[in-house]
Amino acid sequence: MSDASLNNTSKTDLGRREFIGNGAKLAAGVSLAPGVMLYGVAHARPADQAVTDDVRWGMLIDTNKCAKGCDACVTGCQQENGWGPQSGNETKSNEYQAAQWIRKVDLRNTSTGSVHSLPMLCQHCEHPPCVDVCPTGASMKRADGIVLVDKHICIGCRYCMMACPYKARSFIHEPIVNPRTHAPRGMGTVESCTLCVHKLDAGEGTTACAEACNSAGHQAILVGDLKDPNSEIAKKVASVATTQVRADLGLNTGVRYRGI
Amino acid sequence: MKKTLFTQIEGGKGFYALLATLAAVILIGMFAVYQMEHNGHWITGMNNQIVWGMPHIFAIFLIVAASGALNVASIGSVFSKKIYKPLAPLSALLAIALLIGGLAILVLDLGRPDRLIIAMTYYNFKSIFAWNIILYNGFIALVAVYLWTMMEKRMNRYTTIAGYAAFIWRLILTTGTGSIFGFLVAREGYDAAIMAPMFILMSFSFGLAFFMLVLMKTYKWTGRPLGDVILRRLKNLLAIFVAGVLYFVVTMYITNLYATEHHGVVSFILRDGGIYPILMWGGYLLLGTLIPLALLFHPATAMCRKAMTAASWLVILGGFSLLYVIIIGGQAYPLNLFPGYEVISSFEGDVGSGFYAYTPTLNEILLGFAGIAIALAMTAVAVNALRFLPESLADEEVDPHAKG
Amino acid sequence: MKPLFKLLKALMAGLVLMISAPAFAGGLGPDIPAPVKGDECVADTQEMRVNHMKYLKGHRDDVLRRGIRNKTYHLSECLECHVPAREEASQPTRADNEHFCMSCHAFTGVKVDCFSCHATMPEKSAAFHPIVTPAMQTLREVHQPPSAQLLNELAARGARDE
Repeated sequence: MSDASLNNTSKTDLGRREFIGNGAKLAAGVSLAPGVMLYGVAHARPADQAVTDDVRWGMLIDTNKCAKGCDACVTGCQQENGWGPQSGNETKSNEYQAAQWIRKVDLRNTSTGSVHSLPMLCQHCEHPPCVDVCPTGASMKRADGIVLVDKHICIGCRYCMMACPYKARSFIHEPIVNPRTHAPRGMGTVESCTLCVHKLDAGEGTTACAEACNSAGHQAILVGDLKDPNSEIAKKVASVATTQVRADLGLNTGVRYRGI
Repeated sequence: MKKTLFTQIEGGKGFYALLATLAAVILIGMFAVYQMEHNGHWITGMNNQIVWGMPHIFAIFLIVAASGALNVASIGSVFSKKIYKPLAPLSALLAIALLIGGLAILVLDLGRPDRLIIAMTYYNFKSIFAWNIILYNGFIALVAVYLWTMMEKRMNRYTTIAGYAAFIWRLILTTGTGSIFGFLVAREGYDAAIMAPMFILMSFSFGLAFFMLVLMKTYKWTGRPLGDVILRRLKNLLAIFVAGVLYFVVTMYITNLYATEHHGVVSFILRDGGIYPILMWGGYLLLGTLIPLALLFHPATAMCRKAMTAASWLVILGGFSLLYVIIIGGQAYPLNLFPGYEVISSFEGDVGSGFYAYTPTLNEILLGFAGIAIALAMTAVAVNALRFLPESLADEEVDPHAKG
Repeated sequence: MKPLFKLLKALMAGLVLMISAPAFAGGLGPDIPAPVKGDECVADTQEMRVNHMKYLKGHRDDVLRRGIRNKTYHLSECLECHVPAREEASQPTRADNEHFCMSCHAFTGVKVDCFSCHATMPEKSAAFHPIVTPAMQTLREVHQPPSAQLLNELAARGARDE
C-alpha cells in the first residue's frame, strides 16, 4: 500500500479500504504505542489475505482465578454475540433448548473436596469430532484452529451435537429476530462459540469473554496464538501445568485449563 | 415346479379405504411437520441434550427394517432357495418403501428441510452420515434394478447378479446405519463396535416381522391363498433372528460390564434409569423377545396365524423399545467431562446426579406414523398397479413336494 | 446438455422481460427504496442487479472459511448503504416490502435465504461510508484508519524504502 491508495477513491481499491465508522475500534488502534505497533506489524493480517496454519488461536483458563458465582464471561459473550435473555430471543425455548455458547460449571474434587469454577465452551479441537461427522461440511475448522459452523450449508441434522464430547453446541429451536451483524443466528441451524472470530480477524487479539473477565477483575481467561513463541499464552502453557478436558480422546483442544 | 403367476391386487372399496386412511395419517403428519418447521423445534421434546428424539427412532426403525425386508428376496436369489422366490418382488418393494418412509421422517425433522439439496450436493466424505446418504440412494437404485430384473422376463437372467449386489449393499448399508452411533466416541452409551453387527441382526428381525405382517394381511384382505409351508419357514426364520438380536444385546451389555468405566451407563440403562430399564426388560426382553419366541416355538401356537401375527407385532414393539433405549438412553446419560470431579452446579447441568429427561410430544410421534404410512401407501399403490404378488401361495403352489 | 440449458435460460430471461417490461413501464415494478447513504455502489447498478448473488456467495465462503474480510462484497456493507440502521425510526424488517432486498425479491418471487440468519439492517448508523465523497475524504484523512491496516501500510512502506 502506498500514500496514493489513501487518497484513491477508485473502485479497484475498495477492498482494501477500511471503514471509518465503528469509531470505538479506531480509537484503540490510534492510541497504540510505537513499540506495540511493531509487535502488531508481525501479527496483523491484511483483510484480503486468508488465514493460515502459522497461527493457532487458543485460550487458557485459569480456574484458580475464576470466581465461583461470577458469570461475567457468559453475559459478556451474550452481549457480544446476541444470545441469552437480554437478546430478547428464544423466549419460548426451555432452559435445555436455549442457546448456550458458554456456561459456568462448578466442580468438587470427589477425593479432596476442593471446589473449582470454570467456564465450559467450544474447545476448538485440532481434531474436532463435530467436523468429522458433519454430512455437508458445514461444521468446519479454519486454518488457524477456530472451529465454526457454516450456517449457509448447515441442514440442522444435529449429528455434530451428538458427536461433541463437551456439549458445546446448541440448536436454535425458534425464529431469531435482530441478530448481531457480526454474529448471524437462525432457526434450524446449530451454533457454538466462535472464539469471537470477528474480533480476532479485526486484529483485536481477544474475545468478549476474556474482556468481560478482565473487566470483572479476575484475569482468568487468556487468549492468544499458541504457535507464536513470544505470545503470552504460549509462554504460559510452556511454563505451567495445563489440562485439556477429556485429554484421553486425543483431540488436542485449543482451550486449556489450569488448576484442575 | 409350476410357474408362479403374479398379478395386481384388486382396487376395491377396501383398498381405497386403506389408501384414504394412510393418506389421512400422512396429512396429519405433514401438519405436525409444518408446526415444527414454522415454530421451530421448541414445540418438540427434543433439546440440546436429547438432540435426537422420537422421529429418529421411527426413522432408524424403518431404515433398519428396510434392509431387513430385502432378506426374503436375498434368500431366494443369493442362497437359491426356490421356495422364497415368489416372495422376492414384495420383499424388494417393501425394502424400497420402508427406506423412503424412514428417510422422509429424517429429512422432515431437519432444522432446515428446505436445504435438502445441500445434503445432496455438499459431501464431507469423512462423515459416516454423508456415506449413508450415498448408501441409501444407492440402495433404492440397486433394489429398483433388482426388481426390474425380476419382473421383466428378458432381464430374468440377471436377477441373481442383481440380487447379490443388493444383498452386499444392504449389509454395508446397515453397518453404516449402526456406525452412526458406534462412532460417537464421547458417548458412553454408544461407543461400541458391536453396534454395527447388532444393527444387521436387528434389521433381519424387524424387517422380517414387518414383511410377515404385510404378507399375511395382504393375502387375507385380497382372499388369496397363503399356505402353511411358506409361513412355517418364515416364522422359524423370524425366531432365529429374534434370538440373534438377543445374543448381541446380551453380549453388548456384558462386555460393557467388563470395563469398570462403563458400569455407570449399564446400571443406568438396566436398573436406575426409570423408563429405560422398563423398556429394556419389559418392552424389549419380555414383550419383544421372550413372548414372541414362545409364540413361535410352542407347539400349541406355533402354526397359529394369530400367534404369528401377534409375534410379529411384538417383535416390532420390542424393536421400538430397544431403539428408544439405545438412542434416547444413550443421550440421557450425562457425559463425564471431568473424571475425579463431581459437578455441583451448572447452567446446563452436566450434573452427574441428574439424567436428562425427554418427553416426546405428539408432533414427533405423528411425524413418525406418517413415515410408516408413506411406506405402506407406496406399497399398496405399487401392488395395485404392478404384478408384485403371486396369485396363490398355497402349499401345492409353493412346494409341490411338501406334505402339508 | 449445456447449450440446451443456456437456450432455456435465455428463453426464460426473455419471457421474464416480456412479462415484466409492461409492468415496469406502467410503474408497477417493485418500489425499491433509495440508498440511505453513499454515492456509488461497488459495481454498476446493472451488474449488481444481475450478479449480486454471485458476489455475495463467493464472498461468504471467503469470509467464513478463509477469514478474508475485505469489505467490497460484504453483506453488512451492502445493508450499511441500502437499509436504515436499527436505531433509526423507520426500520424495515425482512417481512416488510420496504426493505431494499426484500422489495425486489418479493416482486420477483425469488426466495432469499440470507436473512434467516443475517441481520436485516445495520445496528448503528455509521458516521462515514467506505465509498466517500471528496468532502468526506478530507475528513477521512483527518481521522486515521484502524490500527491493523495502518500498521500494514507502514510495514509495506518500510519494506519499499529499504
